[in-house]
Amino acid sequence: MQIELLSGSTDTHLKLALSGELDAITAPKLYENLNRLLQQHTKVQQITLNCRGLTYLSSAGAGILLMSIDNFTPKGITLELTEVQPEVYNILDLLGLTKLMPVNHV
Amino acid sequence: MYKASLQFGATTDNLPIIRHFVQTHLRNHIPSSVTLNQITVAIEELCANSILHGNAEDPQKELRLELRLQGDKLHIYLYDPAPPYDIHSYPSEPTLLRADTNRPGGFGIYLIRRIIDKIHIKRRRGGSSVYHMVKQLSHESKS
Repeated sequence: MQIELLSGSTDTHLKLALSGELDAITAPKLYENLNRLLQQHTKVQQITLNCRGLTYLSSAGAGILLMSIDNFTPKGITLELTEVQPEVYNILDLLGLTKLMPVNHV
Repeated sequence: MYKASLQFGATTDNLPIIRHFVQTHLRNHIPSSVTLNQITVAIEELCANSILHGNAEDPQKELRLELRLQGDKLHIYLYDPAPPYDIHSYPSEPTLLRADTNRPGGFGIYLIRRIIDKIHIKRRRGGSSVYHMVKQLSHESKS
């Protein structure tokens, strides 16, 4: 799993590219990375995760996304996923996460 | 009948190997990438539960995964040295925040139930267990 800060990010809107596989091994690293970025960028109101390169999502990955929503929402930060691959979107949809956060697929 | 098996130690480092094994052996039999991914996720969730909870990530504990394609049914067997847990006893919906861990819980078992058609669990002599999951392949997706 890799996370990369994309050009076009602003003080209030972080644009990140998420790639690789999000499973029980890698999901905690995503949570750590997101929280570290929020400590560095204290004015953020929106995080966009471009998931074009995300090829696999397990329940552990979905759980981390849900924990992130729970953590960010009280701080007024919205999390959205863009360009999600159909296989990953299907798993998010089975779990109901597509109703809890903006998600669009390729 | 097509049959393939994989033996692995109870460590999460083996999860990518399990995924690769499933996708390599089923890719030619399951044309839908979404269905193949669903099955991969369900198998990984079953294995992850056994690795993390049944065997406490002890790499000395050996598990065996077996895939059998019979007609339009995929039979998945997991031979686990740990005693069985009852998948059917878990809540039917995932928990957003578990009281004990303050983290989301039950997502893996919820996914298994959404994806897989039948689950049988057997306790074997000596206290080990066999999980037998059946997926009807003529349905493109249960979702």
